[in-house]
Amino acid sequence: MPHPAPDWGHATTYEDVSGEIAVVGVGESDHTRASGRTSGQIAAQAVERALDDAGLLPSDIDGIMYAPFAGDQLDEDAFHRHFGTSQEMWVSKRGGGMVWAATAAHEAALAIREGRARHVLNTFAVAWATRRSEMVGGPGESHAQELFKQSLEVPFGWFPQPVYFATIAQRHMHEFGTTQEQLGAVAVACRRHANLTPSAVMHGRPLTLEAYLASPTIVDPFRKEDCCLISDGGGAYIMSASDRARDLRQPLVEVAGVGLGNSDTGVHWAEQRAFTSTPQVFAAPGAFSMAGVAPADVDVLTLYDPFTIHAIMQIEDMGFCAKGEGGPFVEGKALDHDGGGLPYNTHGGLLSHAYVLGIAHVVEVVRQLRGQAAAQVPDAAVGVYGGYTGPQASTVVLRRA
Amino acid sequence: MRPDFPLPDTEWEPTREYWAAAARGELAVPRCRACGAYAWYPAQSCPACGHSSFTWTTMSGRGQLFAWTVVRHAFLPQFSAEVPYVPALVALDEDPAVRIVTRIVDCDPTHLSVDLPVRVVFRPLSFPGIDREVIAPYFTPEQG
Repeated sequence: MPHPAPDWGHATTYEDVSGEIAVVGVGESDHTRASGRTSGQIAAQAVERALDDAGLLPSDIDGIMYAPFAGDQLDEDAFHRHFGTSQEMWVSKRGGGMVWAATAAHEAALAIREGRARHVLNTFAVAWATRRSEMVGGPGESHAQELFKQSLEVPFGWFPQPVYFATIAQRHMHEFGTTQEQLGAVAVACRRHANLTPSAVMHGRPLTLEAYLASPTIVDPFRKEDCCLISDGGGAYIMSASDRARDLRQPLVEVAGVGLGNSDTGVHWAEQRAFTSTPQVFAAPGAFSMAGVAPADVDVLTLYDPFTIHAIMQIEDMGFCAKGEGGPFVEGKALDHDGGGLPYNTHGGLLSHAYVLGIAHVVEVVRQLRGQAAAQVPDAAVGVYGGYTGPQASTVVLRRA
Repeated sequence: MRPDFPLPDTEWEPTREYWAAAARGELAVPRCRACGAYAWYPAQSCPACGHSSFTWTTMSGRGQLFAWTVVRHAFLPQFSAEVPYVPALVALDEDPAVRIVTRIVDCDPTHLSVDLPVRVVFRPLSFPGIDREVIAPYFTPEQG
């Protein structure tokens, strides 16, 4: 590295698990507006499809990872009830979406290495479109419940997520000259990919940069199209030892590298010393190093993208361009699946595909590396998912074997 | 959720002194008794030295506008009568790492710029249907 790492955060030390496991099955639920289903029901549908994709039986699953928040998730009891199974399971509550959609691969690799599980399922679902009216600030509810935010932020109307990230985007624009057209380029690329993806919530809803710019801002500089969808949906993927995966149905997609980065300056956005950066600064180098690849080797990138500014910040922080150059980097067709320099969120992302907090991003990367994606990147061999929660960010590098 | 949400719970211990100071017309921040560093947000131990004893210290109330946005859509119904409004982060003069979440008042938002000098003003926070108000630190551009 030509520059010393910044001092506002650190990388979690991870054991090298490169090549040990593969993603052998992926599945998504139907992605919908309010469906009336519970998140557990939605997750079960995604898991059925992942099992079918892998050619595995429910009784083959002996490890399960989920996130113990965001409503009822498919934990081991719900799995057994749904599938009528009873096998012993290795269980981790450090799975699900967001940051954990990447780091689950590291924990699963260690569990498989140590013989605690053979086939590990990671699953996540939300029914926030259905539950929106009962949640304070919709998906902002967990923030509304946080007591420092209740005391020091919400009373001033600095709430919920669109307001946090519009403020960060305004500061990024000030520091680096990022423009509304560059934010719009991210939204347009995601919509273009969603229009090629039949399962996307915004399929059939084209968006031009001109239409984007002509729409009103709701929280400056964000327009509606800068903000993620609120939809019901879920996803699942199954991980197995690479030598077992070779005997299964699908082309082999290995976990090549995983990294986790952490801010050391608090958990609230106002406290972040690097206000316009993400902990990808600390996550991505470790994942790329474990995988033995450089950013230039990445054929397809998916990023946790609740807002357009997240694409620009993480592209910078992961080293695809210098800090501050993310705006110019994403202009024009740069993010397109067909001929863009860095094909990005090729399913449409949280902005235009579905609001499933990153789990579908991993599913998409796997499909790209198998050559099964709707908006297929030609000959994609290395794919990356970047996850984000605020004080943490994560990177997983997947590789066609 | 508390029935008076989104008013702050002024009795919640970690920020009780913040709201008590605001009621007196003062902006106060915890300062470490060992090393003198300001700790914001309030913490159990000093991020600079690890000491766990603080003195709530009255600040000058002057700072610079670090970042802001104009909210044009009410994400909570309690803010329907407020939009458009300007939530902001203000970096305090004594230590710019202390960023106060506030609102900018008495200023056309098109006149705002990053690093604009601002000063604290105290105004009542109130919301429709809540029979209580809380004096809160807002900020406004420093004149001249």
